[in-house]
Amino acid sequence: MAIEPGDIRRILTPAAAPVTRETMRADIARMLHEDPEEIGGGDSLLDLGLDSMRAMNLVLKWSEGGLALDFATFAENPTLDGWWALVEARQRVGA
Amino acid sequence: MIEPQAHPLTEAQSGLWYAQRLDPTNPLFNTGQSIELTGPLDRAAFAAAQAQAVTEADALALRLIDAPGGPMQVIDPAQRPVLDVIDLSREIDPLAAAQAEIARDMAAPIDPTRDKLAAERLFVLGRERHIWQQRIHHLAIDGYGMILLTQRVAELYNARRRGTEPGAPLPGLAAAFADDAAYRGSEKREKDGAYWRALFADAPEVASLAPGNPLSAPAFHRRAVEIDGAAFARLRAVAERMAIPWPDVVTALTAAYVGRHTGTPEVIVGVPFMARLGSAAARVPAMLMNVLPLRVDLTEGGDLGAYLGAVAKSLARTRRHGRYRSEQLRRDLKRVGGQRRLHGPLINLLPFDETPRFEGLTSRLEVLSTGPVEDITFTFRLHGSEGLRLEVDANPDLYAAEAVAAHAARLAHFIAAASAAENLDDVPTATPEEAQRHLYDLNATDHAVPDTTLAALIEAQMAATPQAPALHFAGEAMDYATLEARSRALAARLVAAGEGGIVAVALPRSIDLVVALVAVLRAGLAYLPLDLAQPDARLSRILASAQPRLTLARAEDAHRFKGEAEVLVPGEWPDVPVGHPLAGPAPADAAYVIYTSGSTGEPKGVVIDHRAIVNRLEWMRAQYGFTQADRILQKTPVTFDVSVWELFLPLMSGACLVIAPPEAHRDPLALARIIADEAITTAHFVPSMLAAFLAEPAAQGLSLARVFCSGEELPADLRDRFHRTLCAELHNLYGPTEAAVDVSYWPAGADDGSRPVPIGFPVWNTRLYVLDGRGRPQPPDVPGYLFLGGVQLARGYLGRDDLTEERFLPDPFRPGERIYATGDLALWRPDGAVVFLGRSDHQVKIRGLRIELGEIEAAAMESGLVRQAVILAREDRGVTHLVAYVVAEAGADLSALRAEIAARLPDYMVPAAIVALDEVPVNANGKLDRAALPAPDFASSGNRLPITPTERMLAGLFATELKLGAPVAAEDDFFALGGDSLSAVALLLRVREAFGSDPGLGALFAQPTVEGFARLLEAEAPAQDMGLAPLITLVEAASDLPPLFVIHPAGGISWCYGRLARTLSPHRTVHGLQAPALAPGVEPPENLETLAADYVERLRVLQPQGPYHLLGWSVGGILAQAMAVRLAGDGAQMGVVAMLDSYPCDVWRGEPDPGEDGALKALLAIAGHDPDRLPALALNRASVLAFLRASDSPLGQLPDAALDGVVRVVAGNNRLVRQHFHRRYEGPILHFHAALDHAGRDLSPMQWTPYAGSVEVIEVPSLHAHLTGPEAVQVIAPVLAGALAAVEAQERKSCVTAG
Repeated sequence: MAIEPGDIRRILTPAAAPVTRETMRADIARMLHEDPEEIGGGDSLLDLGLDSMRAMNLVLKWSEGGLALDFATFAENPTLDGWWALVEARQRVGA
Repeated sequence: MIEPQAHPLTEAQSGLWYAQRLDPTNPLFNTGQSIELTGPLDRAAFAAAQAQAVTEADALALRLIDAPGGPMQVIDPAQRPVLDVIDLSREIDPLAAAQAEIARDMAAPIDPTRDKLAAERLFVLGRERHIWQQRIHHLAIDGYGMILLTQRVAELYNARRRGTEPGAPLPGLAAAFADDAAYRGSEKREKDGAYWRALFADAPEVASLAPGNPLSAPAFHRRAVEIDGAAFARLRAVAERMAIPWPDVVTALTAAYVGRHTGTPEVIVGVPFMARLGSAAARVPAMLMNVLPLRVDLTEGGDLGAYLGAVAKSLARTRRHGRYRSEQLRRDLKRVGGQRRLHGPLINLLPFDETPRFEGLTSRLEVLSTGPVEDITFTFRLHGSEGLRLEVDANPDLYAAEAVAAHAARLAHFIAAASAAENLDDVPTATPEEAQRHLYDLNATDHAVPDTTLAALIEAQMAATPQAPALHFAGEAMDYATLEARSRALAARLVAAGEGGIVAVALPRSIDLVVALVAVLRAGLAYLPLDLAQPDARLSRILASAQPRLTLARAEDAHRFKGEAEVLVPGEWPDVPVGHPLAGPAPADAAYVIYTSGSTGEPKGVVIDHRAIVNRLEWMRAQYGFTQADRILQKTPVTFDVSVWELFLPLMSGACLVIAPPEAHRDPLALARIIADEAITTAHFVPSMLAAFLAEPAAQGLSLARVFCSGEELPADLRDRFHRTLCAELHNLYGPTEAAVDVSYWPAGADDGSRPVPIGFPVWNTRLYVLDGRGRPQPPDVPGYLFLGGVQLARGYLGRDDLTEERFLPDPFRPGERIYATGDLALWRPDGAVVFLGRSDHQVKIRGLRIELGEIEAAAMESGLVRQAVILAREDRGVTHLVAYVVAEAGADLSALRAEIAARLPDYMVPAAIVALDEVPVNANGKLDRAALPAPDFASSGNRLPITPTERMLAGLFATELKLGAPVAAEDDFFALGGDSLSAVALLLRVREAFGSDPGLGALFAQPTVEGFARLLEAEAPAQDMGLAPLITLVEAASDLPPLFVIHPAGGISWCYGRLARTLSPHRTVHGLQAPALAPGVEPPENLETLAADYVERLRVLQPQGPYHLLGWSVGGILAQAMAVRLAGDGAQMGVVAMLDSYPCDVWRGEPDPGEDGALKALLAIAGHDPDRLPALALNRASVLAFLRASDSPLGQLPDAALDGVVRVVAGNNRLVRQHFHRRYEGPILHFHAALDHAGRDLSPMQWTPYAGSVEVIEVPSLHAHLTGPEAVQVIAPVLAGALAAVEAQERKSCVTAG
């Protein structure tokens, strides 16, 4: 089986620290120029100022460690809880 | 009938629907992509995955219905695309075949109401090589939807190959419909709309990277480049540090790049918005995207972090209201149609790799189309994880392929440079290659020029060709030896008055003027030209500033310098040189000082040294190959620096300097005569004067070696008209007085198609820089400020070091040298030629003369009559005027203001209109609100209606020329009505057409009112000048073609041929023969033969040699034949003998004499009226004459005696014709037959057969009476011209161009 570019990246990129709910909350808060405490699990991130470019930027950042995240699924439910569920599911599969 | 499941279009679709309906054949409404799959493709698995995804994606099954109540759509399973597998593996070049097929498919428009919206095709190129092409109409999908669909196919394929469960299916369209409906009725939409309308309430007009109408063409140019990897990494680090998304950083930098090109303080770019985040339709493949207009302020300082932060913030704010459709916003803001757009370039960021991953295969994605390209789109696509590719797509109607490539390279460079900068101001716009080419390569003009002086060059020439003619003026000539002696004598006298300094020269054009200027130069002094037409106040200021040692002026003008300067009049100039040889100037000494208008109200004296002007003149001599054979016309006033080369280039080349009489430079007819009579090879025109010159009939077909234009923009149409009218090279030169006349040149030949006409390339040892506001070189096609450098720069302004420092700056690119800030806007064309774009400040040029509005404002303020004054050059009714807007001092009488200004400024600076205001309108920023200034009222001020025929005719001509809507009164002044000296020239052309003569420009200046000028016309023009002489000139052409003689019809007057005469091409002189009996007291001729003999005699006096061309209408044709018989009998060489619908006397003899009634009817016909259509008109002399007076006919303007003469001649001609018997003329007759006339009468051109060698008949679809009217002349003139040319074939000069 051929090696895909994504696999090469996964092989070459030193394993990043695992994404946790708290790192996600901190990353979102930083992108929105807010305090992490302001981000509630069920809050609509749109209402907090999230836009698609920021969302994509975040998803891209969280997939840097090799996690195969699909932005389209993130777009459906932009809340911390919703996103954490997606990341957690992926991490279980990928691990 | 609409199906029950039909849905209205979503808001997102509606915009596209209407755009598509407006441009249904444009294939760019199809989006598309192709993916090259390399490796062992499981074709069955692929087909199954594709079929499954297509089944999930409802949008691909849409059918559009153009229903009466608005467009609708249904999901119609029959519309779903079926994968088309196309095997090209047996083609010689399967890849090329597939690409050709894909290109063909993408170029085919579809009809969304009939055709399937989508196509899915798999090209088999080989066992392990496939291309999957998708083409989907934009109504069905957007770019992100395409990614969703493609990723879904890959997911299904991979699941099938791995035997795993795929993820959740794509949601159906219902989610999108529901979401659209919910937003449409929501309060959110109301709020979003209000947000946008408020944001755009004060938005400026949109500027973009190229002018033109942004309507998508059917195809686009694309150029892709890679953004430097290190630069991209730096940008992401900046973004990370600032906690803003890196795509917003790229968007902000691209917007700054756009701003560098528009030069505007703000740019509005379009930013695609996916409109999916947080929506139930987030994963629906459908058309949802919107384009948001982003206002980007570029006026803040260049700190990069602050700028990026601000743009990222406004992007975030904008996206919060991003669902509101931009099409709706355009309607809200009434920015619909044409150029009223919402945004300029599109900036599209795709911060993810869109390429789908197929298990076991390598895939490569190419996006073929993402929809119409209206202007230019910058798309940044992430590939791999670190690479960023820039794709520039542009509308080929607005951008050349080279320009697109240049933008790709330049933007990539700009982004790379910005990634390493702290401040945007440090980032150049041009690439290093562009900067090198513009600053250095194009300016590599170094050329060795002898380090000498103008005086030395002229002296060398005078010594070399002492006997050659140096000057020619009004019949007087002077050879070089005499010029040498006289100028040396005067120079010695000037030197004796003391060393160094300035000598003012205030002489009209004359031989004395040239002697004076050469003498001043030889004496090592600088000459200061003064224009005697300027008011004393201005001359005093100039003299006070320049402090000339002496003034050379005529005795009759000496009083004007009393107390200002010592005057030396020509009578006191020594003729014979005495004393020592002249030391002469050094190259660094000043040669002349020319004063130009100054913005501060004070004229500025520009000091040019010998080295500078020698460079300019030596360049010109070499560039255009001037020789001793040249005859150069000097017609430019010496206060305008163009005169410098006119005067001295001939004197240093051994050519002859032909001096036009004073005032001739404003008189096209006089100029045409001088050019023809003096065999001028070289002349200069300011373009607006060139336009007037080309309109002069006498200029048609003139031939010169070369004509130079400078002083103002040369319009491309004028260039083209020039080449249709004259036979000469045309050269466009550019330069301010501050850089020794001209610094750039452009050959504007007949083959030059440039629009606009460039000012071209730098002359020797000269540099042109186009820089932006921060002194950075501009890339091609980007406007900037024009700076000049090199040896030709002036020293500065006399006695005004402050002004000199302001405009003459250190050259930033060549240390130690200076540049001059012209204040002109310009750009470099891609080929390196510079194009002038106008002024950057309020300086105005009227007919090449530089005018600082500030100087006029200062003059108005000095009058003490006004508290405030604003001067503008405004264009009303297509004419540019200077208009003064003033707020009067309490109790001041503004009627004196014009005279007050005229006492301080030259005539061309006096406003055409003065508008009194209560206050000067200002806008919110406290700046002058130009739009609120009223148009000046040039309305009539008089109240006496024009009475005499001349007055009425003249009043009509004033109104026509000045495009006035209101009637003109007898007391109205042409100039007060808005006329200027240029429109005066045009008026005189009309006067000449209407009255057959014109008293000249000077007369109009002296008598500018209708009544005054009419009086002049009448006084000057007794019978003879009214055009009733037996031999008149209808057209005087400066060609050497034999003239055409036209013989009057029955009325005895030959003006009726005026149009035909003017229409003939090439132009030739046309003389009209008229009945001598028009004059009272002249006996009518005995018979027609005596009349013909009389005419032949008159014509041979004027033209002793043949060929003789004759043409006559009606009776005139009979006379022409009789004249031809006589001329041929004398052995003269005959040319064309032509008749306009004449018939032999035989056919008239039997008819009764029509008597006076017939004569009056003929008179009406001659005046252009059909007598049979005027049944109510009594046929007696009094009523016919009254009728003619009331009508527009020029006949109506004749004095009574002349009209009596006409009636008498008409009656007499009837008698002559009936008594005449033809003799045979052995040559051919050309007969123009009025084909629409003579029904039921026995009249045929062939009736001439017994009296002519041959008869050639040309059918003209016209009535007899209309043969000299516009329609018939269009037919007759070319045939006649052809016949004339054929006869003259051997003699014709090859150079006469068709007009």
